[in-house]
Amino acid sequence: MTYLVNQVRTVPTGLRKVLFVNWPIALLLTAVACVGFLMLTSVAGGEVDRWAERQMKVFAVGFLLMLAVAMVPIWFWRSISGLAYLFAFGMLIVVETSGVVRMGAQRWVDLGVTVFQPSELMKITLVMALAAYYDWLPLQKTSRPLWVIPPVLLTLVPTALVLKQPDLGTAILLLAGGGLVMFCAGVSWWYFVAVIAGGLGLIYAVFASRGTDWQLIKDYQFRRIDTFLDPSSDPLGAGYNITQSKIALGSGGWTGKGFMQGTQSRLNFLPEKHTDFIFTTLAEEFGMVGGMSLLVLYGLIVFFCVLSASQNKDRFGALLTLGIAATLFLFFAVNMSMVMGLAPVVGVPLPLVSFGGTAMLVLLAAFGLVQSAHVHRPMTR
Amino acid sequence: MTRTPLRPLARILAARREGENPDAIERANLAARHEAARDASRERAEGRLLVLGIVFLCAFSMVGVRMAALAGSDPVEPRAAASGAQIVAARADITDRNGRILATNLTTHSLYAQPPHMIEPEKAARELAKVFPDLDEADLLKRFTGERKFLWIKKRISPEQQQQVFDIGEPGLLFGPREMRLYPNGAVASHVLGGAGYGREGVNSAELIGVAGVEKALDEELRDPGRGDVPLQLSIDLTVQAAVERVLEGGMRLMNAKGAAAILMDAHTGEIVSLASLPDFDPNDRPRPATEGDQAESPLFNRAVQGVYELGSTFKIFAAAQGIDQRLVSQSTWIETEGPLKWGTHRINDLRDHGPALTVQDVIVKSSNIGTARIAMMIGPERQQNFLRDLGFFKPTSVELIEAPGARPLLPEKWSEIHTMTVSYGHGLSASPMHLASAYATLLNGGYKVTPTLLKRDRFERGPRVISENTSKQARDLLRRVVTDGTAAAFGEVAGYRVAGKTGTADKPKPEGGYYEDKVIATFASVFPADDPKYILVVTLDEPVDTTGKKPRRTADRTAVPVAAEVIRRAAPLLGLAPDASAGVTLARN
Repeated sequence: MTYLVNQVRTVPTGLRKVLFVNWPIALLLTAVACVGFLMLTSVAGGEVDRWAERQMKVFAVGFLLMLAVAMVPIWFWRSISGLAYLFAFGMLIVVETSGVVRMGAQRWVDLGVTVFQPSELMKITLVMALAAYYDWLPLQKTSRPLWVIPPVLLTLVPTALVLKQPDLGTAILLLAGGGLVMFCAGVSWWYFVAVIAGGLGLIYAVFASRGTDWQLIKDYQFRRIDTFLDPSSDPLGAGYNITQSKIALGSGGWTGKGFMQGTQSRLNFLPEKHTDFIFTTLAEEFGMVGGMSLLVLYGLIVFFCVLSASQNKDRFGALLTLGIAATLFLFFAVNMSMVMGLAPVVGVPLPLVSFGGTAMLVLLAAFGLVQSAHVHRPMTR
Repeated sequence: MTRTPLRPLARILAARREGENPDAIERANLAARHEAARDASRERAEGRLLVLGIVFLCAFSMVGVRMAALAGSDPVEPRAAASGAQIVAARADITDRNGRILATNLTTHSLYAQPPHMIEPEKAARELAKVFPDLDEADLLKRFTGERKFLWIKKRISPEQQQQVFDIGEPGLLFGPREMRLYPNGAVASHVLGGAGYGREGVNSAELIGVAGVEKALDEELRDPGRGDVPLQLSIDLTVQAAVERVLEGGMRLMNAKGAAAILMDAHTGEIVSLASLPDFDPNDRPRPATEGDQAESPLFNRAVQGVYELGSTFKIFAAAQGIDQRLVSQSTWIETEGPLKWGTHRINDLRDHGPALTVQDVIVKSSNIGTARIAMMIGPERQQNFLRDLGFFKPTSVELIEAPGARPLLPEKWSEIHTMTVSYGHGLSASPMHLASAYATLLNGGYKVTPTLLKRDRFERGPRVISENTSKQARDLLRRVVTDGTAAAFGEVAGYRVAGKTGTADKPKPEGGYYEDKVIATFASVFPADDPKYILVVTLDEPVDTTGKKPRRTADRTAVPVAAEVIRRAAPLLGLAPDASAGVTLARN
């Protein structure tokens, strides 16, 4: 029961496709990006050309890229999923062997004209590859142990490579993203229960061994974990970012101090203020209302994605849409929890808002895939 | 799950009877089965989506609730901290084995200027030049009125100076707190501690990083922010360390030596109770490393660990002990000592003629090169190397000093038979006094391998056995005889502490090759008490000359031995060892 047999006639063709783009998602993405421009202007002290201008240009290119990707039939993307995955994987290997080291991590590839971060690409191609795999795999085999192994490897190998760079944040996103696609594809509950139980058991064993004769890790490693989990124990060192960003959120209050009035971020108390910690500026200047609005925008994007997926009879398209929505969700959920001190600082940017070219382009291209799946979805009979 | 067969026999037979096509039944069943599978998968997919939705919703509300909680919290005004606060200045204290402070931090201030905020740069420059005579008024004024928005004036100022600068009343002059490393005991244990300096510097703090010794070797551990207030506890005993340094310095002067080193080590655990190297320095004001001349003459040079010397006759006991352990000889075996011993073009001589033969015991007691060389030849190069490797002479010591890994022993390039002979009496192989102390500890503590350490050991595990208990005891007996009847007899005995040890005098090599006639390294390696070995003491003097006699005397028995004996006399009671009254303590008459 392939897609082509399904009902290709109901799929729009030619320029008519533009009418069938999921416009709510496109508009929501633009809205979030605009929040980003505003914040980048604010943290630069009102200078538009410092970060915001570049970000606008990248967004414009990215938006066109999204539409272009959306116009290409989804079955083309399915057929190149494997290749795309292999390409991203190869780039990761290149980073490993000859990458550019910046800020203490080897994450970038020098392409001559620009430097590029392959782990960003990997997040999307992993979702594509897994979606294509489950589209290909007959339904009744989904939970057979032998058929669970390939997607697990597809997820774990790049995760390990990224972890080695080292980039804990991206590794977590890859792992969680891969897991979510497998979950949506209908892999048996028991695998997830077993993995989670195993993980918790391991963590428990490590902590239970503390101070006993069979201690699994060294004392100083324990102390690092302590600081990692509770940065407030070291407010001027590892916990500095968190302390400052919590103060910013608190001083923003319910309605905030007003645009460009935030002291915390303007006065350079916050490092990484235009990238990972940009949410603090928003919360300080527009308060709880501003923060909640952004959260609602993100929530709506995820909602529309899930809606589109649930109406999509094409398994690849549906899984791809869900996977990308899950990736977006993980992105901002991890970033916000990190900024608010709910999770340890792992270095995940706020999607579409944080300054960063690769991340923006890749995310918009990914939403191009979502749009393509939406435009070319087999409609109800 | 029970599966309906695609071609149920009863219905097929019935269909055939009726003349219908039985395949239609199969098709219908197949379609029904596909339908069921699709329904099941759709149901599952919807269930999964629902779960996912709930998870998303939970995460959303968690973030939302947290945001509300933070927004509702009291707005705390930003602290007056700036970018410099990211620099972690924390550095743990260092204490001796009894918890007495060896190194700690002191908060002082730095002085910097922000010219844009200055009101009267002329006055500020004038007054500052008064407070700090080393600053030039004209130069300061030029810098204050220039383009710069920020400039350092002094990296470290005293509280009095801070008050004086404060009294100038210039708002553009600012203070930043910074920690400074303080060694309250001055030069005591300076070579162990090494010293610390500043790393990355910011306005509000500066990184304190170790530059030498323990401070550098364990830098990461000391700076670990998760460490908290737990100090680093060394195995050094401050009281003993001070006494050893005092005695050693006096001894060095008396013997006209230009350098000296002493190591006092627990014979079983390898914990170093005292480590001294002279000349020394004050780590609070660490001298700059010498850019010219011999680094080995610098006060920064740790002779006990970095100094790699030929240690002379102190090595003889290794050959004797191995011979006994391998049952090649016993203490009473006669060894030919007719000199000189010729081997190819080489000739081995003794300092004085010992006659045609000596027992193994006397070879050690009288320190015969020829006798030792003959024992070594019985052992052979292979076994000799294995034994010295076991004793740790083939690798740098693992003691926790940044200088230790660089002190690689110098071994003969090709270990031929002549080397076997010379090494057996301590020539042709150079090692540090630390190597010697660990090897003596291993040999004499009952035969268990000792790894030297500067950290206090709470739990102690014995190393692997290197030689037998019995050999170890015999080695101690031999060394005890050296002190009672042999080369160390004149000055080695310390009443009540039954010292056992071996002297060693090695000519210093000339830089251009060959040996000096009148420059020696004199060493005394000892253990006490001999019948219950507790501590190892190695004392090394660099170029000592005893000028009290008619002729200048340089041998260890006249130089290193009396100094070592005095160290034991002073240190043993501090270590809690009671003198043994039955062993010749002179009782004071009341």
